[in-house]
Amino acid sequence: MEYIVEKIGMSRTIAVPSIPVTLLRVIEAKVCEIGENGSAIVSYSNGKKTNRAVAGQQKKYNLSAEFNRFATMDVANAEVGDLDIAPLKEAKILKASFNTKGRGFSGVIKRHNFQGGPGGHGSRFHRAPGSIGNCEWPGRVQPGKKMPGHYGNEKVTVKNEVVSFDVQSGVLAVKGSIPGANGAFGRVRVVK
Amino acid sequence: MRNKFIEAFEAGQIATKNVPAFRAGDTLRVAVKIVEGDKQRIQNFEGICIARRGEGTGETFMVRKIGANSVGVERIFPIYSDSIDEIVVLRRGQVRRAKLFYLRDRRGKAAKIRELRK
Repeated sequence: MEYIVEKIGMSRTIAVPSIPVTLLRVIEAKVCEIGENGSAIVSYSNGKKTNRAVAGQQKKYNLSAEFNRFATMDVANAEVGDLDIAPLKEAKILKASFNTKGRGFSGVIKRHNFQGGPGGHGSRFHRAPGSIGNCEWPGRVQPGKKMPGHYGNEKVTVKNEVVSFDVQSGVLAVKGSIPGANGAFGRVRVVK
Repeated sequence: MRNKFIEAFEAGQIATKNVPAFRAGDTLRVAVKIVEGDKQRIQNFEGICIARRGEGTGETFMVRKIGANSVGVERIFPIYSDSIDEIVVLRRGQVRRAKLFYLRDRRGKAAKIRELRK
């Protein structure tokens, strides 16, 4: 079962030992159309973006104007309507998929955890990647060589335990951290 | 301002806690639960609160006392932690700062704090 969630931020519990938790808000969603194997087209609200294609879908599925986003995911529902959040109440372990924070074009130290060189003592090797291969043989760079480039803003999935779930406010507390910025939208999948 | 969902989550945990109002300068007795194997006992730590910091479930306070051989001992406690059995305010202090780190440089009578008179 999958759910669209918004990352709220982090907090902690007062238990001994204290557990670091990430709070996620389960976004209200409507199941529009049920396909095969429990997958369904689901609509939710994020911002005010709309166009004629969205308006057409809203008319087709009888949705109000704020449901402007559509996604395909696994649901527990047997019928069209409000998304069934019952499986979340018994969930123990989740997998959360979020886009990580974008870091732009990054060097190898940030991107691949290279060590870098000494800062002083006449060292002329600071944050550069260094040698990237051999000489005349093989005369090329090995495929997959770690180099600078775009880093972040990619989908990352992590597994977390569920600490608590408040049905009324839809706030889900999971143990540990989750990729992405606060306020970002992502998905959680109930594993167990 | 903190996020209202984070505040609600933390308020729900703090709601059952009964912590007296205190600030830096107050003399406190903190009863700490200590678990040794399967036995649990309570140890008191008595001293002057020299700082409070943080908010929500992460809020902590620092207690300073002069231990054996005039060695200063400071401990930092999470206010709402389950390991704290009780906090008792023994004496209110008259201070003009929120952080009393200057007490670390004072010895004897100079490190005294006047009692708050209303």
